[in-house]
Amino acid sequence: MKGRKIVRASGWTPAWDRREFLKQAGLAAGSLALGPALLEACGGSSPSPTTSGSTAAIPKPRAGAKIQLLQWTSFVPAADEEIKRQAAEFSSANNVQVTIQTVSGDQLQPKTAAAVEANSGPDIIQMQYGWPHLYDSACMDVSDFVGALRSQLGTINAVNDAFCKVNGKYLAVPYCQVPNAWTYRTDLWQNAGLTDFFSTWDELAADGKQLKEKGQPPIAVSLGHAYGDAITMWYPVLWDFGGAEVSSDGKHVTINSKETTNALNWAINAWKNGYISQNTLSWLDPDNNQAYHSGLITATLNGASIYIREVYKTDTGHKYAAVSNNAAMPKGVKGLETLNLIFNHAIMKWTQEADTAKAFIAYLMQPENYTKWLNASVGYNGGPFQKLSSADIFNQDPKLKPFQQVIGTGKWPGWPAQPSKATAQSQVQFVIVDMFAKACTSGDAKSAIADAEQKLKRIYELPS
Amino acid sequence: MGAAVRGLESRGFLGPRVRILEREAYLGYLLLAPMLALLIVFLAYPFVFGIWLSLTNAQIGVNGHFIGLANYDFERGDTVFIQSFINTMSYTVVTTIFKLGLGLVMALLLNQVFPAQRFVRAALLLPWIIPSVLSTLAWRWMFDPTFSVINWVLVHWMHASGVDWLGKTGSALIALMVVNTWRGIPFYGISFLAGLQTIPVELYEAARVDGASRFNQFLHITMPMLRPILVVVLLLSTILTFGDFTLPYVLTNCAPYNSTCVLSTWAFQIGVNGGYIGIGAAISLVLFPLLSAIVAGVLIGLRRED
Repeated sequence: MKGRKIVRASGWTPAWDRREFLKQAGLAAGSLALGPALLEACGGSSPSPTTSGSTAAIPKPRAGAKIQLLQWTSFVPAADEEIKRQAAEFSSANNVQVTIQTVSGDQLQPKTAAAVEANSGPDIIQMQYGWPHLYDSACMDVSDFVGALRSQLGTINAVNDAFCKVNGKYLAVPYCQVPNAWTYRTDLWQNAGLTDFFSTWDELAADGKQLKEKGQPPIAVSLGHAYGDAITMWYPVLWDFGGAEVSSDGKHVTINSKETTNALNWAINAWKNGYISQNTLSWLDPDNNQAYHSGLITATLNGASIYIREVYKTDTGHKYAAVSNNAAMPKGVKGLETLNLIFNHAIMKWTQEADTAKAFIAYLMQPENYTKWLNASVGYNGGPFQKLSSADIFNQDPKLKPFQQVIGTGKWPGWPAQPSKATAQSQVQFVIVDMFAKACTSGDAKSAIADAEQKLKRIYELPS
Repeated sequence: MGAAVRGLESRGFLGPRVRILEREAYLGYLLLAPMLALLIVFLAYPFVFGIWLSLTNAQIGVNGHFIGLANYDFERGDTVFIQSFINTMSYTVVTTIFKLGLGLVMALLLNQVFPAQRFVRAALLLPWIIPSVLSTLAWRWMFDPTFSVINWVLVHWMHASGVDWLGKTGSALIALMVVNTWRGIPFYGISFLAGLQTIPVELYEAARVDGASRFNQFLHITMPMLRPILVVVLLLSTILTFGDFTLPYVLTNCAPYNSTCVLSTWAFQIGVNGGYIGIGAAISLVLFPLLSAIVAGVLIGLRRED
């Protein structure tokens, strides 16, 4: 077996002292609400190479450095264009070369795994969900850096924090959330004689029934192996009925409960009676988008990309722009929980350019730059820090408010347990989604729970 | 040794190295060395490394240590693994039978003289030529319950109800088999066609003179003459189908609820996406003894024929 040589990045020289920071902050105050430290570190004026304190954790880029960031191809192309523009801007201001490599969402994990196994690859990798826990051996400890960002940008959303922090250390830098909400056709809603959008799971079933009776297209959500849409739908259903896959200490599988049975019975009732579409068992993430744009469904749970494409893009001919609206997640008998797609940035241990990587991430997280990216995303992304949560677009288009409202409220697969290798394993095996799919098609909640319980017990017993 | 070489040697131009190269045994090994090195680096090393991984508790990015057969033992109790094993076997057996039969029919038809023969031969190779990912995505659209052209025909022309091809356990597995068969037939067809064209026409003429029917000609001339090619094609196809990943991954990605998982996709799910690469390696190596037996059997059979 080959030996693995972990190349640790060279440490950076702390760049500022408190006085210098305050001086720079004062100079930048006219143009920025905050974050002069970030601006400075990323190519502003030259700070003195001395110091201590949290701001010292934001190093300067090394002139001539070349770094690469691997990320997914966003469902909103303008967001990728904006980050590439910022990369070019940062490169030219600091005499470095930042390359943004994009791959489709489902290819990001295989690429990441291959890089981790080879101990070589991109300097920064965009980590979805709980990957920092899966690839902890390859992610650099960035606790100081995150601390510095937090001192500038405010508190971190709980879900980003839980995914980034592994055994008390930050192995990734909080980057963003992709908030999920319902996008629906108001005209079809009215055709069915409906007025308000559902706010509980029971109302969803009742509205679906009415849509069916009035011959309108169905409400549709993926029951297949969609890494985004299926996960963001069925975990909240489970939680809203009081169910959970594992205890809060992550040691005891708790899926076999009355609450889980109630959640499954709700799904069985909605699916068997056609109150939600029965054609989604093989749907992947793009399928509900396509179905909506084709006018084949009335409502679906998604990121804002469907709404954005209808309203802000021209390729759909704005066919349903005027009749598209968004609504927040409904709640269940035990409350309202949501789950969003989460991205964070890990700086990999093999990089030789850790300082430049950190400086680039700091540059992206500057409120001015981050807001530009948020606006380019048209509500598809949300910030992970308190001071990065708002963007002009949410005020300009009130219909995007449901997406903004769920930023920061989401939980993570495996909740209430903290993210771990086991919760990540459960997620990638689609145990919870498959439990719902099996229950819906068989009508047998008990057997679906037994099957999921057996799988979960094996996962939480995996040799480590 | 030639006169010229003797002359060079006598004048001291040929050193001991050149003389060694003149020995066939050494030269043979020397010429073999580059290919041997390639085989060791790209075939033997990954294979042996895979076996080693399957005997460790390695995770992505973590070396792990030797745990014997624990990974294999662990997977024995996994219902999805068992389902994947059954799916892999049925996927391979069923598709191989269909590819063999339809490939033979295709070769016999292509072996006839007809207008635009070359164009048709080239066109029939398309399923095998175009990238699997693209063709599988096209099939995914055709099987989609909402957009399916197949369902459209069923509903609008045949007044039947549409089918959720990829959403039901049985039909999803059948869909996998259909696409694999569609993609594999040209490989069989063209290989058999090459074999058919090497059969001397005189054999058929003699058979016709003896009054043999077309069926008897096929049975007693075509099949025996095709047998060596048939066996090799069957062997290659069986191995490739056992290890097929792209098609099942793109078409169903194990859905619905892991019912269409095959060993390769399940190994990927656990080993790559889940990070437990030791267990993933064990899953993918489960079929190694069986495949070895098949390969050995076929090779021994071929040698006996020779």
